[in-house]
Amino acid sequence: MAYLKISGGAIYDPANDIDGQVGDIWIEDGRIVAAPTDPAVRPSRTIDARGLVVMPGGIDMHCHIAGPKVNVARKMRPEEKRKARKIMRTATTRSGTLGSAPSTFATGYTYAALGYTTAFDAAIPPLAARHVHEEFDDTPCLDKGFYVLMGNNHYVMKAIHDKDPARLKNFIAWLLSAAKGFAPKLVNPGGVEVWKHHASGNVSGLDSNVDYFNVSPRQIITEVARAANELGLPHPVHVHCNNLGMPGNWETTLATMEALEGHRGHLTHIQFHSYGGGEGDENTFNSKVAPLVEYVKAHPNITIDVGQVMFGSTTSMTGDGPLGYFLANLFGTKWYSGDTEMESGCGIAPITYRNKSLVHSLQWGIGLDWYLMMDDPWRVAMSTDHPNGASFMAYPQIVRLLMDSAYREEMLKTCHPAVRERCHFPQLSREYTLREIAIITRAGPARMLGLTHKGHLGPGADADITIYTPDDNKQVMFEMPRYVIKRGEIVIEDTELRSTPTGRTLHVSPQHDAAREAEIGEWFEKFYSIRFRNYPVGAEYLHEPETIACR
Amino acid sequence: MTLKLDYTGQTPIPVEVEGLTPDEVRGQSLAEIEQFEIQHGNEKLPLAAMFRVSGDPADGRIEFSGNLSGVHWIGAGMTDGEIHLAGPAGRHVGSEMTGGTITVDGDASDWVGGEMHGGLIHVRGQAGHLVGAAYRGSRRGMTGGTILIDGDAGNEIGLTMRRGLIAVGGAGGDVPGFNMIAGTILVLGESGIRPGAAMRRGTIGLLGSPSLTLLPTFRAAGRCRPLVLSLVFRQLQSLGFVFDADLLTAEYRLFHGDLLEGGRGEILLRA
Repeated sequence: MAYLKISGGAIYDPANDIDGQVGDIWIEDGRIVAAPTDPAVRPSRTIDARGLVVMPGGIDMHCHIAGPKVNVARKMRPEEKRKARKIMRTATTRSGTLGSAPSTFATGYTYAALGYTTAFDAAIPPLAARHVHEEFDDTPCLDKGFYVLMGNNHYVMKAIHDKDPARLKNFIAWLLSAAKGFAPKLVNPGGVEVWKHHASGNVSGLDSNVDYFNVSPRQIITEVARAANELGLPHPVHVHCNNLGMPGNWETTLATMEALEGHRGHLTHIQFHSYGGGEGDENTFNSKVAPLVEYVKAHPNITIDVGQVMFGSTTSMTGDGPLGYFLANLFGTKWYSGDTEMESGCGIAPITYRNKSLVHSLQWGIGLDWYLMMDDPWRVAMSTDHPNGASFMAYPQIVRLLMDSAYREEMLKTCHPAVRERCHFPQLSREYTLREIAIITRAGPARMLGLTHKGHLGPGADADITIYTPDDNKQVMFEMPRYVIKRGEIVIEDTELRSTPTGRTLHVSPQHDAAREAEIGEWFEKFYSIRFRNYPVGAEYLHEPETIACR
Repeated sequence: MTLKLDYTGQTPIPVEVEGLTPDEVRGQSLAEIEQFEIQHGNEKLPLAAMFRVSGDPADGRIEFSGNLSGVHWIGAGMTDGEIHLAGPAGRHVGSEMTGGTITVDGDASDWVGGEMHGGLIHVRGQAGHLVGAAYRGSRRGMTGGTILIDGDAGNEIGLTMRRGLIAVGGAGGDVPGFNMIAGTILVLGESGIRPGAAMRRGTIGLLGSPSLTLLPTFRAAGRCRPLVLSLVFRQLQSLGFVFDADLLTAEYRLFHGDLLEGGRGEILLRA
């Protein structure tokens, strides 16, 4: 038996209530195991972690790293790619470029270099699933999965309109299995469909009508959340609310939380959905995090990730077609709009967040409001909605903002002065502890995703481990992990990339009624551009797949 | 003493010498310079495999000789010093350079001074397409410096140019100043069609094309003898650029455009 031992590190494993205690971790066959009882057993390799900080590998539960939208973004910004940092080809690495939409291999290497070992792409049209699985094979060092866009799916809306919850549930189960996806995703439910029908179309609130289908966003949210919970999915529903980025949208967000009707649900990049203020009037734009935090606190069925904005230039890519159009008009940039037939839409536009801009500064501050006002770190996950709010490469800086109130104050001084009055966090002196950071970047996301073998360091867990060198400057600490271990394999050693394992594909296979497949097929053959039998992704397209069981 | 690089390569495959600039080699021994890595198609070679190296790089002057028409990126990114080419040059001569001087005694291929930021390039022969142009996808092309072409130049001179001066002694190709943001382009010979399409600001002087038809989005604004031209010509004279003296006193027709982009640019045609 070949053991790897990490010896003498300060362990931060909040899921197992270990908060900085010094101890050893034993690894065998890619998993963490209990220390062997026989003192004669010696590890084949020991990493001396004395004086270092040991955490589970990071989990990014909401990012955009694969699929058609990412590929369009990679192609549509040659001006950014030319100046972007390059990764050169070496014996270990394939070549690639960074920038706001890094190339596939570069994405994997860079996540690993920041101590991340798992990432989920948040918006995949199931029609493109096959390609995404192929792309995942070229995104090394990470375990990966994706969420399947369903909020504007014609079949979903039709089943809801027909008040046929059994059909809806069956379809969701079939679609997830066909795409080999991980969770249902709602993006501007109903709104994208209206956008596809009307010039500048969108829904304005939860009770707007989605014409032709005659359903409302509220019905889509409630019914999909109910069906997904009944299926016992590990991460039932991942919601990008209606009205993203609009002043006054906090009411829509609150209504969305209510529309979950007590079912488990995750509201993503909630920073973009927590705005007060009136229609089109920038001067009233403000943070409405307080009432939303109150609601989330009182409703344990809800989890959130933040979608932090950081200043600088990036690329917005979203399944929210009307939003892409709005942003491109706002910034006067180039724009791409996609229409995935029966399934979804897509909008892409370059954006630059400026610290002197009132709106951008407030967006930055509202993200911090969420981190600092949510007392329970288990229900808030760190995200930048990469690359929409900022690149995932900003995570170490965000850690520093949360752990160092003096640094926060320093950065606040460079922002638009209105942030001080219109956000809550300038009054808060809260500083995150390492334990809390370990929760919002690892243990929390694992729990929200229902991944029992990730996000902790107890026996049985995947040996995804990051070892940091402590530093007063937390950004420096989190920017350069000393070791990163992926399923027992040393990926980063002494801050250098050593190996690039492919990583697994995490997906669900909920049960569906095979007898009802014919019904889906009949509809499918009538409307889709491809044949029904060619649609489901075969096992041969998956690389090291792992099925995550339903509850 | 000058560093002398005599091209001995005989290959139909492109040779790229990106990064071989006066400031890079200054202070290096000849033996070190001979090991400078160049690209031959997809293989990396030492400089000595294609060039005979002699002289001394200390004074920041490099002299290339031989038929360099298949050698690309000469002087690209240079910041200082002087490069002289005796013979034709390949593509991307002086691309993205920020300072110094490049003189080509012969013809140069496409992308002379592509996205140049400063310094001077003087081509004594003809130049290919895209003189001082933005690379594909860039928001900005040339942002400073001067490019002088004694002979003809190809299409898309100064594409998306932001600042600086391009002067062409001979004829120019189609769409000079396409998408131009600002800066100055002079074509003394005949010009190709559609000058200044989508230009926002800047000046395009087409001084040898009295009867050129402009795009309908350019509006005539009268005749003039612009003082600024005589200042530009004085500068060109000091740089050794040859032109007809009567250009200094001639009358020009002024047009404003491109009206689709705000119309703050100007085109001058010989009256």
